[in-house]
Amino acid sequence: MPARRLTALAAAAAAALALAGCSSPAADAESGEVAWSYVSGDGTTYTADHVPQRIIAHAYAAKVLMEFGITPVGIYADGDLDSDVGLQGVDFEGIEVLGEEWGKIDVEKAASLQPDLIVGDWWPVEEAYSGLESGVEESSTKLAELAPVVGAAQGDSIVDLIEGYAELAESLGADTAVIDAQRAEFDGAVAAFQEAVAGKPGLTALAISPYDDSYAIAVPEYAPELLDLRSWGLDVIVPSEPDPDFPYWQTLSFENADAYQPDVLLFDDRNHPANEQTLADQPISSQIAAFAAGQTTTWPAYWLHTYPDYTAQLQSLTAFVEGANPDIVVE
Amino acid sequence: MTATAARPTARHRGGLGLAAALAVSLLALGAACAASILLGSRAITAGGALTPTELTVLFDMRVPRTVLGLLIGAALAVSGALLQGVARNPLADPGVLGINSGAALAVVAAVTVAGSGAVGAAVWFAFLGAGVATVTVYGIASFGREGATPTKLALAGVVVTAAASSLTSAIVLMNVDALNELRFWQVGALAGRYWPVIGQLWPFLVGGLVVAMLAARPLNALALGDDLARSLGTRVRLTRGVLFAIVAVLCGAATAACGPIAFVGLMVPHLARLLAGPDYRWILPFSLVLGPTLLLACDVLGRMVIAPAEVQVGVIVGIVGAPVFVALVRMRRSVEL
Repeated sequence: MPARRLTALAAAAAAALALAGCSSPAADAESGEVAWSYVSGDGTTYTADHVPQRIIAHAYAAKVLMEFGITPVGIYADGDLDSDVGLQGVDFEGIEVLGEEWGKIDVEKAASLQPDLIVGDWWPVEEAYSGLESGVEESSTKLAELAPVVGAAQGDSIVDLIEGYAELAESLGADTAVIDAQRAEFDGAVAAFQEAVAGKPGLTALAISPYDDSYAIAVPEYAPELLDLRSWGLDVIVPSEPDPDFPYWQTLSFENADAYQPDVLLFDDRNHPANEQTLADQPISSQIAAFAAGQTTTWPAYWLHTYPDYTAQLQSLTAFVEGANPDIVVE
Repeated sequence: MTATAARPTARHRGGLGLAAALAVSLLALGAACAASILLGSRAITAGGALTPTELTVLFDMRVPRTVLGLLIGAALAVSGALLQGVARNPLADPGVLGINSGAALAVVAAVTVAGSGAVGAAVWFAFLGAGVATVTVYGIASFGREGATPTKLALAGVVVTAAASSLTSAIVLMNVDALNELRFWQVGALAGRYWPVIGQLWPFLVGGLVVAMLAARPLNALALGDDLARSLGTRVRLTRGVLFAIVAVLCGAATAACGPIAFVGLMVPHLARLLAGPDYRWILPFSLVLGPTLLLACDVLGRMVIAPAEVQVGVIVGIVGAPVFVALVRMRRSVEL
């Protein structure tokens, strides 16, 4: 067993050196040739003298690469692949699964795949790629030693994230026609959404995730999909006092769940409909006008990575907005 | 009159003094109930007409929460007193018996097998799990000639707790839905538990409390030690079995309703013993009154500290309970049974 592990690691390390060694401009001068280069989410330009073929990717990154025609050899996920709302409809058949729990990656197995590129989202606030954040098991961080780690940045817009992956896929040999077609359809969905929202002046929305005994309200600043919806005209309410230790949310007790009165409630779709039932069980839900009026839907919470997913979500939201009453709350 | 009699300790306090202490405790309970209804993470201004929302908060949320606090506080404290007497172990509490871990395992297993559809029935699964765990502990401890001795009970409890916790962890690692459902079972809370939960469980809680109040004499006999109790005509095994069943009902129902709330069952009986002495005819009523007082006071505190959010009562009881418990333990007399 130790011998096999050593061999695999050595092979992978050699592959990593081939890439990492060439990731500086100096390498270009020596070889005179750059077959592959990519500006990653962390701002660094990665280059290599051959196009990476054997890719290990975080499951969300894998999904978007596969949409664009690039199939990884291995994936790792933050949770169960089957139940993750962000991974529905993906066929991971034939791809090695290296972990289905956040913080735990089977690096030995990863090494045996001899990857020449690791792909995951870049998280600017945490300054880390998916799977390598602080708090993960130390053995998992060894993944970064197998090959260069790259990926698009989680920032102010899911569109930027998808485009980052489109660039990566193109650099890896994806068919640009596929990307262009997906982008065109998405642009149409955005236009329809903007038109629907413009047709409902004064419509306000609140993104929530009720659970156990708490009423958590999403802070758009840390939810790029909500920032997108705002940029396209939907008035997603910004809660006034994010939790000091975890500013992704403002948490209220259910006694205060009527503090914000939107026309529309957007439920976190990762735990829907259980979270809507949680709110329904609270007597105060009758005092939340949008809930009492049944004006609720879901929002794709923190998982969007592909144009087809985003297009479908936008189309569903557009239909909802078109049928929504913008005067539930009268100020 | 001797010097000792002139300075009565709790143990030698007369019935009148105890009645007075109980009356003061009842007043404290009344104050805790009032606070639980009037104070919360949402400020309700006195004077002027209440808005419909304020009426909802007061009557549909805080009143049932207070009623639940009364029932659960009493059930935990009284079952703690029974348990410490039955096991003759001053550190016995529902956690030691595997009741919490049994409830958590049952809920998680049900969610795994039946999917999220089982969530609505979680209370019953928790009750079942708590009951099975308690029966298992008692069953294991009953092997052998002496039956369920205090030491064997504690050992069996530790074993069942470890086994149930391991199984729960194993299931949770494989099942995200179970993990979501388990969050509630990690820290006890009164919030969000309204009339439907009370409606399901009150017969067990009230019935268990009524029967428990009749248990003073056999507990007093057991406190003398098995041999002495036997020589006084007590059927030790039967008595211990019946008392254990009452504990299972009370703790199981309380855990099913609110998740694991530690320290109340451990601490309140000690407080009661400090005030009332070693006689269970007084320890039980004091526990009945002091348990809900402590739980409701902690719950009110939890609503105030980080308003407009809340801290679960299980956390507050832990924070308040730990130092108080240490102080109580240091007063050796209160710990002696």
